[in-house]
Amino acid sequence: MITYHEAQLDALGDATRRAILERLIDGPLAVGELASEFPVSRPAISQHLRVLKRANLVTDRAAGTRRLYAVNPAAMESLRQYFDRFWTQALTAFKQRVETRPPRRKR
Amino acid sequence: MTTTTDPIVDVPVRKSISVKASQERAFRVFTEEIDTWWPRTHHIGKVPMKKQVVEGRAGGRCYSEQTGGPDCDWGTVLVWDPPRRFVFAWQIDGQWQFIQDVDKSSEVDVRFTPEPGGSTRVDLEHRHLGRHAAEADAIRKAVDSSGGWGALLGLYASRVEQAS
Repeated sequence: MITYHEAQLDALGDATRRAILERLIDGPLAVGELASEFPVSRPAISQHLRVLKRANLVTDRAAGTRRLYAVNPAAMESLRQYFDRFWTQALTAFKQRVETRPPRRKR
Repeated sequence: MTTTTDPIVDVPVRKSISVKASQERAFRVFTEEIDTWWPRTHHIGKVPMKKQVVEGRAGGRCYSEQTGGPDCDWGTVLVWDPPRRFVFAWQIDGQWQFIQDVDKSSEVDVRFTPEPGGSTRVDLEHRHLGRHAAEADAIRKAVDSSGGWGALLGLYASRVEQAS
């Protein structure tokens, strides 16, 4: 059985899948719309979307007769949270440093 | 072109902090002396980081010197306006690889504003995070998993304290 983490790596290891994901950042699209923009067949696009969905990177929802694919907001939110934590840590370290005068006696 | 961007995707991370230092000193420590405070846990090379360097000019490189390895690039200076503003491209993906194309990386904008009483306010904005969407979940998983960044953090934490 493929693990969740392996699914992630697999999902990101393909240039077309990365390109599809980048395209979806601009807004949700249906399979047909994606297929018209990529030099691969519609079934191939569907297959890529299945992999991305399994890896939790995209979500889909019905919109009338179409199915729209979008970047998973939860994935983006976790990315924001990651950077939020990182910058909190970095700026705290920066503040401590910038407010500490270098010891003058040390040569 | 109409923008139909999912509002969540492009929300920048914003942070502000006030430091008891002049604008000039705050800018200098943030850039020229970045090595004295940059978290040692955040580093894309495969071997321990020796020194963080920011080249003080537009187009300058941001990189880590590594122990026993080649320099490891992680950014490019986009705006260099001492002592007021410093913008750099964040060219690291979720698998710790360098992103060559600046247009595919996020951007960090740092502004330094003098405050009454001699302090300086530092306003930081990390934007275009959507460009890292492909890594979003990978980052979360890696951070969460004990074998991912968590392990790296532990590894580096044990080596860190030689920095002064």
